[in-house]
Amino acid sequence: MLKYSIKRLARSLITLIILITIVFALLRFMPEEGYFNNYEKMSPAQIELGLIKMGLKDPLYVQVGRFIRNLLQGDLGVSYRYRVNSPIARIIAPKIAISAKLGIICMAISLPLGLALGVLMARYKGRFWDRLGNAYIVFIQAVPNAVYFIFIQLYGSTWLKIPMLYNENDWRTLILPTISLALPSISSYAMWLRRYMVDETNKDYIKLARAKGVPNTTIWFRHVFRNAVVPIVNLIPGSLLMTISGSIYTESFYSIPGMGGLLVDVIKRQDNNMVLVLVVLFAAVGIVGLLLGDIAMAIVDPRISFTKKEGSR
Amino acid sequence: MLNNGDVILSVKDLHVKFSLRGKVLNAIRGISLDLYKGEALAIVGESGSGKSVLTKNFIGLLDKNGWVDSGEIWYYGLEGGPVDLAQYKTEEQWQGFRGKQVAMVMQDPMTSLNPLKTIGWQIEEALKLHQGLQGEAASKKAIEILSDVGIPEPERRAKQYPHEFSGGMRQRVVIAIAMACNPQILICDEPTTALDVTIQAQILQLIRNLKDKYGLTTIYITHDLGVVANVADRIAVMYAGDIVEVGTCEEVFYDPRHPYTWALLSSLPQLGIKGEDLYAIKGTPPNLFNEIRGDAFAPRNPHPLKIDFLYRPPYFEVSPTHKARTWLLDPRAAKVDPPEIIRHIRNIKLDTMDIKAKNAAEPTAES
Ligand SMILES: Nc1ncnc2c1ncn2[C@@H]1O[C@H](COP(=O)(O)OP(=O)(O)OP(=O)(O)O)[C@@H](O)[C@H]1O
Ligand SMILES: [Mg+2]
Repeated sequence: MLKYSIKRLARSLITLIILITIVFALLRFMPEEGYFNNYEKMSPAQIELGLIKMGLKDPLYVQVGRFIRNLLQGDLGVSYRYRVNSPIARIIAPKIAISAKLGIICMAISLPLGLALGVLMARYKGRFWDRLGNAYIVFIQAVPNAVYFIFIQLYGSTWLKIPMLYNENDWRTLILPTISLALPSISSYAMWLRRYMVDETNKDYIKLARAKGVPNTTIWFRHVFRNAVVPIVNLIPGSLLMTISGSIYTESFYSIPGMGGLLVDVIKRQDNNMVLVLVVLFAAVGIVGLLLGDIAMAIVDPRISFTKKEGSR
Repeated sequence: MLNNGDVILSVKDLHVKFSLRGKVLNAIRGISLDLYKGEALAIVGESGSGKSVLTKNFIGLLDKNGWVDSGEIWYYGLEGGPVDLAQYKTEEQWQGFRGKQVAMVMQDPMTSLNPLKTIGWQIEEALKLHQGLQGEAASKKAIEILSDVGIPEPERRAKQYPHEFSGGMRQRVVIAIAMACNPQILICDEPTTALDVTIQAQILQLIRNLKDKYGLTTIYITHDLGVVANVADRIAVMYAGDIVEVGTCEEVFYDPRHPYTWALLSSLPQLGIKGEDLYAIKGTPPNLFNEIRGDAFAPRNPHPLKIDFLYRPPYFEVSPTHKARTWLLDPRAAKVDPPEIIRHIRNIKLDTMDIKAKNAAEPTAES
């Protein structure tokens, strides 16, 4: 178990370092103006001098090393164009807090609801709950979210008078965005859990459990649900961490100053340093999410920690 | 050999149907069968003959698209008097019956255990349900049962997960689970098909020992006639959803009466002559979606009677323990002798016919 985790951790670190190097190298192909906020007015000599001062003329490995060292000290560098000369950490920290708050509230609601719906659907497959759930899932997946967002807005703000635009001092402004985010999330948890549970019910060990006289409800929870939830447990840490990246659509719809869309913004503004930091941040979150997911799965599935062959993927 | 007298389960003119894509399949077509307390009954027949479907009725595990169309299944093992299992419709009725009265060992030990629970846990689950044991007492008992089914180091093994066991060991665990239920009847549905030959023999031996030790009534399903002489007191031969012949082992082997039984016996590898091809039954079993007229085996019978195609034969009694559903036993029928090869069986001693003996002689003949 411990050995497994450490091995995975080491591999994740290596992946991350390789990734940082690649992003670094790629960003060097970007126009140099991305490092200055008044590039147009500078002479070539000034530009050259500026680049040297920022260490951008150093060999790649020196730059990567410096970046990582600064990173470890909590220094993410400064933004040149998005918000001139402010430390990037100071720019993104409040945004991450907002996005994560929204995302975690949404997950705290949609995970139990989605799993409950999935259980009901699998348990009453082909009957009322399953049909209702399927109708809901198909609706959410097929209809562009702009459409139901407008319904939520209409119903929530016009009829129920819930304030729509984000205001950090008014918790009610979180209601509509949470619902908007939770609807699709509930549908996907329900859909996957239902599918995994139906798969489990057809397995032989469920027949044996039935044959040995285990009552139905017990079979559903102790065997079917317990085993079907394993692949979902695998996804949870990743989803949880990914909440910090925010949601472009919801956040812009409700004017929430979160992380959603920030990457697009800084790319448009050609703020090379911010692009670098954000790409590395999201990649790190992704890698750590996978790692934690696999560790979580190894905790709930004894087959994994014992495999002699290296991890299952 | 028979513990005559006490019938524990009695099937009367059972018809079971399935609905499949709007059509109705007649899986069991009027079976009557008595099971005696403490006996070992083998059910043989080719794939699709309805062996599993028949026995699933005894434990309420028929697939959802199937139903008992008519007939009765009387169970006499309950204190409160006989019950007709054919009338059990709901899960609640079956609860408390499954496992406790009738337990089952299934074909594939690799998939019959919950991969996320320890072996001990899975045995204890049955103990808690059926023997009212809890905590420490349950785990002690589980270890006891594990050693009973021949698993070495049971204390250590109980804490392990199914993937740490080999196929043969897993089947022992499945049997241990069945034993933990402390049932009256144990159904073994091809318990060794997925195992290699030497392991097969050990598992058969184990089932037989447990039967003797605990006075279990066992139903042993197989399509390998070669192994049944070693595990069963009686044999029921199934064809196309019907029992065409039933009798003691000796009767069915030494004095078979139904042409299908002849065909099955003729294809036994033990009877094969070196260098010659094994006998194979020609044709395919009838389509159970259609109404079957006459004797279901007639189209594949090399020497059918005319009447075989017209009317379904009733059971004719050969002896009090031996009956067969074939017109050949009607006094008016023309005399048809069983194939030459069948008469050779008399020269073979039954208990040498098991797979162990077979195996010792030619280890690879099975595949
Ligand atoms: N759920 C079902 N729906 C439709 N038909 C079924 C179903 N279960 C079994 N049958 C049919 O019933 C017949 C008997 O099947 P059964 O599984 O009892 O055969 P078997 O004798 O156990 O064969 P095998 O040796 O292959 O296990 C077959 O024709 C099979 O196709
Ligand atoms: Mg079968």
